[in-house]
Amino acid sequence: MTVAQKPGTVVQGTLDMLILKTVALQPMHGYGVGLRIEQISKGVFQVNAGSLFPALRRLERQGWIHGEWRATENNRRAKYYMLTDAGRKKLKSEAREWQAQSAAIARILEATSGEV
Amino acid sequence: MPIFIIIGGGLRALFAKQRAEQELDEELRCYMETAVEQKMRAGTGRDEAARETRIEMGGMEALKEQVRDVGWETRIESFLQDLRYGLRMLRKNPSFTIVAVLALALGIGANTAMFSVIEAVLLRPLPYRTAGEIARVSSTWDRNGTLTSYSSSPPDFFDWRDQNHSFSSMFAYYMGEFALTGQGEAKRVRAVMTTAGMFSTLQAEPMLGREFAAEENRKGANHVVILSHGLWQSAFAGAPDAIGKTIQLDSEPYTIIGVMPADFRFPLSASDAYVPIGFDNKVMTQRGAHYLAVLGRLKNGVTLAQANDDLSAIMAQLRKLYPDKDGKWGVGTQIWSAALVRDIHPALLVLLGAVGLVALIACANISNLLLARATARHRELAMRRALGAGRVRLVRQMLTEGLLLALLAGAASLLLAHWALLAIVRFGPADIPRLASVGLSGPVLAFAMSVTVACALLFALIPALRSSALDAAGLLRTSASPSREAGRLRGALLVGEVALSMMLLAGAGLLLRSFIGLRSLSPGFDPNAVLTMSVSVPDAHYKNSAALQSYWDRALTQLRSLPGVASVAAVTPLPLSGDDFSSSFSVAGRSVPEKDEPSAELRFATPDYFRTMRIPLRQGRAFTEADRLGAARVLLISEMAARMFFPQGDASGQKIRFGARGGYEKNEGEIVGIVGDVRHFGVDAPIPPIFYVPLAQSGMDAAAVVLRTLGPTATLTQPARKLVQAIDPDALVGEPAPMETLVSASLGQRRFYMMLLAGFAALALVLAAVGLYGVISYSVAQRTQEVGIRVALGASGSQVVAMVMRQGLRLAAAGLAIGLALALILKSVLKGLLVGVSATDPATLAITALLLLLVAVLASYVPARRAARVDPMVALRFD
Repeated sequence: MTVAQKPGTVVQGTLDMLILKTVALQPMHGYGVGLRIEQISKGVFQVNAGSLFPALRRLERQGWIHGEWRATENNRRAKYYMLTDAGRKKLKSEAREWQAQSAAIARILEATSGEV
Repeated sequence: MPIFIIIGGGLRALFAKQRAEQELDEELRCYMETAVEQKMRAGTGRDEAARETRIEMGGMEALKEQVRDVGWETRIESFLQDLRYGLRMLRKNPSFTIVAVLALALGIGANTAMFSVIEAVLLRPLPYRTAGEIARVSSTWDRNGTLTSYSSSPPDFFDWRDQNHSFSSMFAYYMGEFALTGQGEAKRVRAVMTTAGMFSTLQAEPMLGREFAAEENRKGANHVVILSHGLWQSAFAGAPDAIGKTIQLDSEPYTIIGVMPADFRFPLSASDAYVPIGFDNKVMTQRGAHYLAVLGRLKNGVTLAQANDDLSAIMAQLRKLYPDKDGKWGVGTQIWSAALVRDIHPALLVLLGAVGLVALIACANISNLLLARATARHRELAMRRALGAGRVRLVRQMLTEGLLLALLAGAASLLLAHWALLAIVRFGPADIPRLASVGLSGPVLAFAMSVTVACALLFALIPALRSSALDAAGLLRTSASPSREAGRLRGALLVGEVALSMMLLAGAGLLLRSFIGLRSLSPGFDPNAVLTMSVSVPDAHYKNSAALQSYWDRALTQLRSLPGVASVAAVTPLPLSGDDFSSSFSVAGRSVPEKDEPSAELRFATPDYFRTMRIPLRQGRAFTEADRLGAARVLLISEMAARMFFPQGDASGQKIRFGARGGYEKNEGEIVGIVGDVRHFGVDAPIPPIFYVPLAQSGMDAAAVVLRTLGPTATLTQPARKLVQAIDPDALVGEPAPMETLVSASLGQRRFYMMLLAGFAALALVLAAVGLYGVISYSVAQRTQEVGIRVALGASGSQVVAMVMRQGLRLAAAGLAIGLALALILKSVLKGLLVGVSATDPATLAITALLLLLVAVLASYVPARRAARVDPMVALRFD
């Protein structure tokens, strides 16, 4: 997993979730996915091609996203990825899981000595 | 994730590979162009933007490889690649391939054959529905705390059956034999004499007709019979109207009430007929008459221990009710399938362990060959490594080659196992249940496959890990010379091989010695040139004992007049026949409570029996023709009986009265002589105390005729049989057999175990020799240069031979030392299998070690000679 500039600080499997979320917003090609993640995260996450394409292939194989060849705004043929129904379910459960975990981690980090 | 999606995606990728590749190319190109465009939009120059993008994306091929690796199909592809490559390697080195495949095939084949024996004898469920619920119930006799199992008596059986709460049904049986008459020459019918409840316990039903009713177990009402499918076919050609007809068994009519299906077998092997036992009131009081085998089906949820407690409680009640008879009798319960193989189980497991060692030796051998070859393949591997093959990829490739080798060997091993099984069925002993049904069944094939794969992993993993561990640069730099470490590893494997072979050879040697020792034990008679033949006459033809006796007199007189017969006698039960007859007795003038009476074996014999069998007379006189009905009753006893019951040497003249426990109740006799001991139960079994009664004073309807012949026994086989059959066509005359066959059959199991272990040890020896030869040859080839220099500097041929052999013998000696230490664990492993020889027998161990050393000398001498012939000029040019 090499999502962030500092790998290891991101929980395993997060990239898959981020990609699912990104293509859930609108169908997007590979470069667009990477760019969008970088933009929304305000540059915290930079996704390089070496992580992005294997992840896309993996998600596609698992049937969570579906690729379709379309023309880009610059009239280039690109493979656009969109969420499948299974992918939508997966994203929902991943997001729920993630929120529960991050909330729990936040509580632990904010704990005062009295609580521990 | 649904499996079909994974598979579907992979399959599409496999078959539409080109398209998938094009799409990936296009996708990446699009990504790259878009990225460059973005950078240019941000103000970077075109060339600079392209350069930055390429750096960001990394190597294009590596990236594609990463994407491809997401699916499983690439693994298949690389596997197929490895397979093709492996096949090429095997074809390129035919001698290596043949040696490796053959060695491994022998190892796997031996394992497969041994496992089929285990599968057929120990693992395969008995051929009855939920056979695991069937328990064998036996009477136990407590002799100073050690329990011996016996058959059970009818009254005990009925009390157990009627009072227990643990069995849904229970039945008792014994094996009987009838002469089937009325259809030409009398035919032997093996019958199960049984009680009602047999079929419900075994959960089997007749295919025609009905099963027995409870009231058919009364004497007089029991003349009904259920035929086996085989007898129905042979006697009635499978006619459905056979039900209700009668057949003549021992010249009495029996009504056919049912026919069993073709696949029904009981007990385990096929019987010809099933007949209800006719119990009378007298039998129902004889608690000492132990002749019934009892089987019961455990109720659902009842454990063996609960059933045993239940029956023991009943037995405790019976002991109170009948204090005289049941003093030390108890009851024991075992799951039937386990009880059948209790004595065989440990021996077979020892053999399975031994054959496993053979497989290990074969694997070590091939590991060694592969290690040697891997050293030679250093440069090839280094090249692949340098071209980008990962370590995992190389290990995978080498494992695939190993697997390929193992699969070839596995296929060949099935053929070897098939032949081995043919031999086992042909020569195996008859007293191992279901041995004849061995075959390459489903479980056996699965086992063979697992052993094959396990072997592949075992022998390929070490060389694979070792050669892939080296880094590419290092590999390319070094020449093909072997590293010191690889040499050590191969040496260690070889030492292990020799050690395991030593252990197996020692085990086989010990069994062989034990067997030879048993062979040389005398059974107590001289079996050479003695022919035996069982004869049983229908009771209905002979009104009384006198009529029976005149039959035996006639038969023996006529046989004696056959040319080539030296002497003739009759006896029952015949030694080593598996039949047995015992009785409790009391000695006149000694008062002992009836329940504490001693018991001894009883044999009924004609006067010439001792002369014919060459059983020596030690004291007093043998039987004479005058010892007949009406004359004074006399007895002979064996030396063992004299020692056990008359330790003061006062046996002669004592009066014996036979007691209630046994079938010779109320008879008596005076001891007139002492004869030599006979090992009735087997050459390897304890010597029993025996009492001999004149056959003429007992009125027997069945006995074994024994003939001592002047020439070979075979020439008398048919004349003797025809002659006896002619005297009474309804008599049942068995196929004559040489007494020597019985003697050798009594050691059948031991011979079988010994032969198998010897076979495994021989395999181990050959494999170790091949291994040693391979390692030494290889190292000689590697040291050609060194040897050349030595020869150039003046080393003589014999010095070179000595140098090379020293290397081989050092390894062998280390292996021998470890093997000798390992042989000490044989002590506990072979405990039950050795008779008359200690597991640490120094002579056996020394001979074994010498044999192995001799093989080691030979295996290293051949390559040593080759080394000595090295031409220094050629050697020095050799790279």
